[in-house]
Amino acid sequence: MHEMPLIYVGGIPIDLSAVLMLVVSCVIVFVLAMLAVRNLSVENPGKLQNFMEWVVEFVQGIISSAMDLKKGRPYISLGLTLILFIFVSNLLGLPFSVITEAEGPVTIFGHVIEATKHLVHGEHAEILWWKSPTADINITAGLAIIVFLLMNFLGIKNNGKHYFKHFVEPFPIFLPLNIIENLAKPVALAIRLFANIFAGEVLITVILKLGFVGIPFLGVWQGFSIFVGALQAYIFTILTMVYIAQYTIHEEEAH
Amino acid sequence: MTIVWTNILFSMIAFGILYILLNKYAFSKLFGVMEKRRELVMQQMDEAAKTREQAVAYVEEQKQALQQARQEAQQIIQQSQVTSSNQADRLMEQAKAEADRLKNEAVRDIANEKNKAVEALRSELGTASVRIASKLLEKEVKADGEQEQLVDQYLKEVGGRS
Repeated sequence: MHEMPLIYVGGIPIDLSAVLMLVVSCVIVFVLAMLAVRNLSVENPGKLQNFMEWVVEFVQGIISSAMDLKKGRPYISLGLTLILFIFVSNLLGLPFSVITEAEGPVTIFGHVIEATKHLVHGEHAEILWWKSPTADINITAGLAIIVFLLMNFLGIKNNGKHYFKHFVEPFPIFLPLNIIENLAKPVALAIRLFANIFAGEVLITVILKLGFVGIPFLGVWQGFSIFVGALQAYIFTILTMVYIAQYTIHEEEAH
Repeated sequence: MTIVWTNILFSMIAFGILYILLNKYAFSKLFGVMEKRRELVMQQMDEAAKTREQAVAYVEEQKQALQQARQEAQQIIQQSQVTSSNQADRLMEQAKAEADRLKNEAVRDIANEKNKAVEALRSELGTASVRIASKLLEKEVKADGEQEQLVDQYLKEVGGRS
């Protein structure tokens, strides 16, 4: 199996691949957005601006399906960032991946990569550098934790005591169940995204081992992976919005 | 699949930075432009609606003007018909009056002429008869006024009967 290029800097573990891919994703999304807003025009929008506006309207549609768009207006930026970041991340691992083979201990920036530390002669480790950042459970977990914190924070801030009341409804005995439900949301988010993208990359690796026979399968699967990547970005965003709506908007008729 | 807590942290930080940067440099501008476009479209739609209303009003106005013109034409035609018939009547009347006048004049002239002729004839006859009588009675009858008066009276009776 592929190993991650993990190094310890002063006792703190740093996954260089994750850092690299996060930076690449962020840069791509940011550059894309900046290109789109470079020549903004009211009368005669360019192609990229049109695309970006389509994305904005798409996110607005997502939000308005979860809550009243008037209340959801502050979350448009969040939804946009989420969908763009996740979509770009999902696609990054598709065209290629970068793997190095290490025969012995490899050092980088003066630190030994963990996976290569205890290699004895004859063994080798494959270190995966370029992949989808969302094929790493840690990164999807980070996104899910952001959503988790955000939905609970916004719930307490905007909904006050109703937020806490939700936990003991319909009966106080449901409290543990409600807490589990609350905690399960980010876990489900993280694992769903990770598993979809990770599985996609694993299958690509497997197909690659077929050799020339696998080329048509690879094409089909990569196309499907683009679809899956878009779908997962959409699902992550819409679930985020649904969760935020659930915790922040107090519906009178529900009581 | 290994849990590396720093990766979680890094991804959160990266996402946060990306969110802040995008929000600050890209999305605010984009939203502004989209809002402006929305306003522009609304404005244009408003204008189009207004223009359409104006067009409808204008067409209505034109229709009314046409109707009015038609009515006026009708009126003018009627008026001219009335005028022409009046004129014709008047001309007729005038002609009739003229004819009447001419006829009356002629009748009067004829009567005058007749009277004159009768008068002339009467006096001629009177003098002629007096002359005859005087020729006949030259000797015995003096031409005194009494006898001439008698003759005149007789002749008047004759003239009145004629």
